[in-house]
Amino acid sequence: MKDSIRKGYLANITDKYVRGQMDRRDFLRFAGKLGLGASALGMGFGNRPFFGMSSAQAQEAYQPSPDVIAWLKDVGKPFAGTTLKLATESTPPSNAINSQLKKYFEEATGIKVEIEVLPLEQVLQKLTLDVASSLGTYDLYYIDQSWAASFSQDVFDPREQYSAKADLAMPNYNLDDFLPALVDGIAKYEDRWVGVPYDIPIFIMIYRKDIYEKLGLKAPATLEELYTNSKAITDQMGPNTYGYAGQMKSGHYALECEWTSFLWGHGGSIFNADKKFSGNDEQGIAALDYYSKLRAIMPPGVDGWTWDGQGQAVAQGVAASMLSWGEFFPYFDDPSQTKISGLCEAVVPPQPIALRTVKETGYGEIPGVGHQGGSSLAVSKYSKNPDAAWLFMQWATCADTQVGITVLGGGTGPTRSSVYDDPRIKANARVGAGTTRHLQVVRETIANHMGSEPDLPEWAQISSDTIPVGLGKYFAGGYGSSKEAMDDIAGQVEGILKG
Amino acid sequence: MHQSRGIRTLRTIAGWLVVGVFFFPIYFWTTVAFRNAKDIFNWPPIFVDFEPTARNFEQVFGISLGFGFGAQEAVTPGGGNFYMAPRLWDSIVIASMSTVLAIVVATLAAYCLSRMHFRGRHEFVNWVLSTRMMPPVAVAVPMFFIFKQFSLLDTYLGVILVHGLMNLPLAVLLMKSFFDDIPSEIDESALLDGASRWTIFRRIVLPMAKGGIAATAVLCFIFSWTEFLFVLTLTQTSIKTVPVVSSTFVTSIGTAWGNMAALGAAAIVPAFIVIMLVQRHLVRGLTMGSLKQ
Repeated sequence: MKDSIRKGYLANITDKYVRGQMDRRDFLRFAGKLGLGASALGMGFGNRPFFGMSSAQAQEAYQPSPDVIAWLKDVGKPFAGTTLKLATESTPPSNAINSQLKKYFEEATGIKVEIEVLPLEQVLQKLTLDVASSLGTYDLYYIDQSWAASFSQDVFDPREQYSAKADLAMPNYNLDDFLPALVDGIAKYEDRWVGVPYDIPIFIMIYRKDIYEKLGLKAPATLEELYTNSKAITDQMGPNTYGYAGQMKSGHYALECEWTSFLWGHGGSIFNADKKFSGNDEQGIAALDYYSKLRAIMPPGVDGWTWDGQGQAVAQGVAASMLSWGEFFPYFDDPSQTKISGLCEAVVPPQPIALRTVKETGYGEIPGVGHQGGSSLAVSKYSKNPDAAWLFMQWATCADTQVGITVLGGGTGPTRSSVYDDPRIKANARVGAGTTRHLQVVRETIANHMGSEPDLPEWAQISSDTIPVGLGKYFAGGYGSSKEAMDDIAGQVEGILKG
Repeated sequence: MHQSRGIRTLRTIAGWLVVGVFFFPIYFWTTVAFRNAKDIFNWPPIFVDFEPTARNFEQVFGISLGFGFGAQEAVTPGGGNFYMAPRLWDSIVIASMSTVLAIVVATLAAYCLSRMHFRGRHEFVNWVLSTRMMPPVAVAVPMFFIFKQFSLLDTYLGVILVHGLMNLPLAVLLMKSFFDDIPSEIDESALLDGASRWTIFRRIVLPMAKGGIAATAVLCFIFSWTEFLFVLTLTQTSIKTVPVVSSTFVTSIGTAWGNMAALGAAAIVPAFIVIMLVQRHLVRGLTMGSLKQ
């Protein structure tokens, strides 16, 4: 067989395998006939495909910039033998760095990096203990956007580090390349940068195109359309398929996230310009009534789902749409993980009915239906190795590493503008595991539809406990009306703010 | 006592129902470990008719023939893996060693409290009991500071010490009650025959309390095996136990239920083996003292 024919045939069966049209046994049988073993293909048993490749192949597809490596070798020498520690949530960027990319940094500098991967709540516990003790057990902090205010005085401002230590500054690091909306929404508290934007999960609209087309529906452009479309699907396809899945677990931060999207989308805000809780005003009540209306056409059991259950509902075909984190989209496209590969489409969040301006809100809150999560990466002020940590932080968040993270990280959203335009990223905008075909929607959502929570030290408690517990009680029938529920939450929030 | 056939049948059915209620969660959890991700959340749920796979175990323990032992397969977006075999070993080492520590110290202390009369003995027992009343979270933070000072953070020794100390009060009280059930006249006879206290303890009392030691050891082992807070607080990257790493299957885009179930199902095995090994003594130990002569 000619080599070109053999390669063409191999490409064909590989494509079928990745799309789930061929099982592994057949794939290996055909590959064997081509004289290729599994190891030769770089496709060990069960390796997760990234963009149609095994992780090994994907890693081969990404090679770090020689300029970056040369700089690391140059500036890293004095710090060889140092060990840096970071506690982080299990996010695509952290996983990509920990498992596949940090070796480049370690080889070039001689600095060892230990990354502890934990659930978000446990990361907060670890950081709180580290700050309270000032012991510097961690050199770098992974800071969720809702903690920015709490840790703002415990980390270095990266702008000051960059200018104060010219000898350690990465050439072309370009702090201006970070998407401005993310700097404001994730990494800034008052005038300080609490690290740099590290990852960006953001709410986008994900819907089942096949179901929408079957029922003659168009992607929801407004919140009202989201409801009418979802109701039409539930009416016609329920109880097998529901129109929308929420993330409504009582007492969980997920419920607060979804609520804020609808609150902002109805012209409301969490705080008003006087820094008073305003979720109980006219717009706030309208938002909660809308949420209740939407709840009625969601699958049973949604009161126990975080974004995890919400994503599973869509992945299993139980629900036809969700307004949720864009990180789910590549997962839905992965044929080895879900039954809906290639059936979902992403669009920007529905237009709001009304929208407050930032000046009409308090504590830096930014209204927008595209609820933004995300985290920043910062060097701890208590670190015993702040310079080595600063080197790592620059490398981990530079454009070249972000390309690697996006390529290896299964299509996660970059925080730098230039990365969205990188040809290596655009090349993977097709159906399959680790797709990047939703990233332009993510980018547009960040630029024009992003909603960001307020920054205040008490926010972690308010967002993860007070509001979702109150909302959960409301949806469980614990209040007589939406007004009564929101008034009660308002009273609790004011009590917390008064201390 | 004569029972009608109907009553016996009903009792048998009721018995199996109770067994079913307790066994079903374990069965379902174990089947989750053998399912593909897309088969876990089927609705209506599937209990039997699914395509079994060992992939979750391969990913968690790296034992697939295709990968070879110890391979770390990329399974999360970004290429992170769920390779947890070393963590299972950590759990075994910590639970075993902390149990040994607790049993050795508790046995000696309990014998003294049972046999020797000294001033403040009762107060001492009450004080031992009171240490169990303190919420672990109140101790965890000070422990963190102390361990940092003594370089015990993230070490086997540190966690073994904490788990050993955590189990000590319960072990002392249990062992004391077992020793109390052994007639002190035996000790006195041996003393009259010229045996030392140590000889009596080692040669006479200890063998008689084997059942009690087994029961106490099992409880200590299980407490250590399932302990979460201290391991979370006092470890970082070097060691972790099964309960703490189980939480790391929760990622930013969802929970790897299949992998979590695989680790959970496998984690039952060592505890089960320990219980099996001491079963003969365990039954005797748990019933010890229930009948007074």
